[in-house]
Amino acid sequence: MATPTVGQPKLSNDLGFGFYEPTMDGFDKNEEVFFPTGSFSERNLLLNWGVYYEFFSNARIGYNSFISVELGRMDLQNSKPAFIRSLKYRMFPLETFFRWRPKIEINFTLAPVWGRGRITVETTPSEKTDDWNELLNSFGDRDPMEEMGSSDAMINDWIGYSGMIGIRYYISSRIGLDFKAGFLNNSYDKTNWRLFKKKVTGPELKIDKLPIFSFKVIYGIK
Amino acid sequence: MKKIFLFIFFSGFIFSQESETSEYDPCSDPLLILARKDGIKAMPLKDIFKYRKLVKECERYGGEKVIQQIELRDFERDFKKSQTMASWTSTYSICVFIVMIYYFIGLAAATK
Repeated sequence: MATPTVGQPKLSNDLGFGFYEPTMDGFDKNEEVFFPTGSFSERNLLLNWGVYYEFFSNARIGYNSFISVELGRMDLQNSKPAFIRSLKYRMFPLETFFRWRPKIEINFTLAPVWGRGRITVETTPSEKTDDWNELLNSFGDRDPMEEMGSSDAMINDWIGYSGMIGIRYYISSRIGLDFKAGFLNNSYDKTNWRLFKKKVTGPELKIDKLPIFSFKVIYGIK
Repeated sequence: MKKIFLFIFFSGFIFSQESETSEYDPCSDPLLILARKDGIKAMPLKDIFKYRKLVKECERYGGEKVIQQIELRDFERDFKKSQTMASWTSTYSICVFIVMIYYFIGLAAATK
């Protein structure tokens, strides 16, 4: 009897949302610089996309990115510059799964996380250094910047890990809906931010030991 | 000369080839045969739109059962392949489960 040569998608991509609840005291409880109050979409919502490759009949490996973005205007003493804050949780998951029913799959995921935070401030060249120093002072940095580049952003990298259990419903053999619940643990350190090749202190964020939920649409490419 | 030209011109209509009488069956298209044999995902990506068009045509042609069979076979093929966890995957899943339990117990204990 001939065995089937083709099964479920070897290569799939997905797009969806994630939900979590970080505590961003560096922005929300900042007494020196006023940041616009973060809404649900800027605090709790994560945009999520990923690519997976099924290398074994019950396992797949991939890349998954959860992104949180905030846009707004800061209220500084001399200006109101636009700022963009992004937090990226880049995951490299190893997922095992089994089909509980012909259309329903249960999956188990563990993933190392490479996180990156980025804060960009759009200031005028003449006030760039003053604006950045005011912002950094509000985060608790006591070592003022003396020179700045033409386009500056403060960046922080950290590592973490995540574990999730999910359920997937296949609408067709190519398209599926996936819901996952789990946790996200990050080793964020606010003193590890970098700005123009200098170590600076960034905002107080509590992004460790967070419950996380994700909902995404899967499309099997091949 | 004029008569010769007229003859050549009309001979195309008079002695024309017989039109194709055999009907086209979308359900026996090679693409649907491939989908039935090896699964929907065995098709090249570029043929997906053609496949969808063929599915509609085949259903209109009375081949609903053929299409249902293709989809059912695809689900069954996937189901059989990953119904049970093989090799190390079950151990890995248990590890994930234990890590999750450990985390949520810790979270519950910390919030009390």
